[in-house]
Amino acid sequence: MARVIDTRRSRLLLAALVVSHLVVIGHQVDGGEGLSLLQRVVFKLLSPVQRVVAAVAHGVGQAWSSYLDLRGVREDNRRLAERVAGLEGQVQYEQQRVLEAERLRELLELRQVLPIATIAAEVVGRDGLPWFRTLTLDKGREDGIALDAAVLSATGIVGRVVAVGPRAARVQLLLDRDSGVAAILERNRVAGVVCGQVGYADQGKPDLVMKYVSSLADVAVGDRVLSSGLDRIYPKGLVIGRVRSVGAGAGLFREVLVTPSAGFDRLEEVLVVRDPPEQPVLTETIR
Amino acid sequence: MKALWTALAILGALVVQSALSASLPSQGRILDPFLLVVVYCGLTGGEIHGMLAGVAAGWVQDIHFGGPVAGLSALTKLLLGFGVGVAGTRFFIQGTAPRLLTLFTAAAVDAALFERLAMTFDVPTSSLSPLGILARASINALVGVAAFELVDLRRRRQEARP
Repeated sequence: MARVIDTRRSRLLLAALVVSHLVVIGHQVDGGEGLSLLQRVVFKLLSPVQRVVAAVAHGVGQAWSSYLDLRGVREDNRRLAERVAGLEGQVQYEQQRVLEAERLRELLELRQVLPIATIAAEVVGRDGLPWFRTLTLDKGREDGIALDAAVLSATGIVGRVVAVGPRAARVQLLLDRDSGVAAILERNRVAGVVCGQVGYADQGKPDLVMKYVSSLADVAVGDRVLSSGLDRIYPKGLVIGRVRSVGAGAGLFREVLVTPSAGFDRLEEVLVVRDPPEQPVLTETIR
Repeated sequence: MKALWTALAILGALVVQSALSASLPSQGRILDPFLLVVVYCGLTGGEIHGMLAGVAAGWVQDIHFGGPVAGLSALTKLLLGFGVGVAGTRFFIQGTAPRLLTLFTAAAVDAALFERLAMTFDVPTSSLSPLGILARASINALVGVAAFELVDLRRRRQEARP
């Protein structure tokens, strides 16, 4: 047993001594290219390990850098998405401002054309039903709005004020069955009364009806219908709508349906006539 | 004690080699007293003793008589000491003839191994011809056997003293 241990020890010692001598000799021998043989052998032996380590380090570095890039991209993506959302909101806002400016410009043009004083008001409420009959404005008595004042849009007559408060007013639309406007056809001055058809239970049609038009009158589809001013509410010459259909009707009158010019469901700003036409005062009568 | 005697033997080999180199520069390489010390240590002390004696003797030889690269003789003597030590523990190498054969073989192997290592490490050295190796081995074997007998005789006398 001791002999075996001695043999193993002697072989280990031999190996250690041989290796150490090879190292010492290799360190002295020129291996070329400015390297000793030892350096060259060690370099040759370790270069694959170095290559592997370098490759692994490079791969890990790449992976880490990709991860960091990915995180950066994700962050950029989130930031850009937020920015896009903000810009989209801003664009929508600007579009609304443009549309509003357009509407206000049209109203202003109308206001300049009209020979009467008007007040601009904003629609702040309306019936939440398909065929609503009233609107609420943000101007009231303190702003100069009075009962029965005519309400206009850039495209035509809207209705009249039926209730007024200090800072708000309610408008009855032409669509209301209880409304009425003294009207004439622009082409041949045929007169009538334009009324709404929408009732209390929101039943009816969005078209207006022109009543009291003689069955002998010349009425054609497409004729423009204007206010005649005879009702002393709506100034004369304002657009009400266009004739959509002409029927035979019953009795002495035709059945004339009128499509209103004012887009009641899209109204946002209106003009309210400040001073209604004066009522004629009769001082003498024939008895 | 064994280490002390080994060191003294190496010192003696250094003296002999120096004397030979000084007096007979051309024939100085024929006799290798360090080789004789290593073989004796290997035969009497086993492979470890042979190895260590070989390393020590080889380094002394390299430092004093070596070429541009130190360690070649040390490595040669290391391997030689190990081989002789292994042979000495495996075989009964006593008496003149076995020692003569062992010394002859060791001297030849030493020369061949040194040249081979020098060639491997690309170290310039003057190589011996086969006849030169044969002459070197023979001279070292004869001188070695004589030296071993003298040492043994001295040891026997010391052991015989009361």
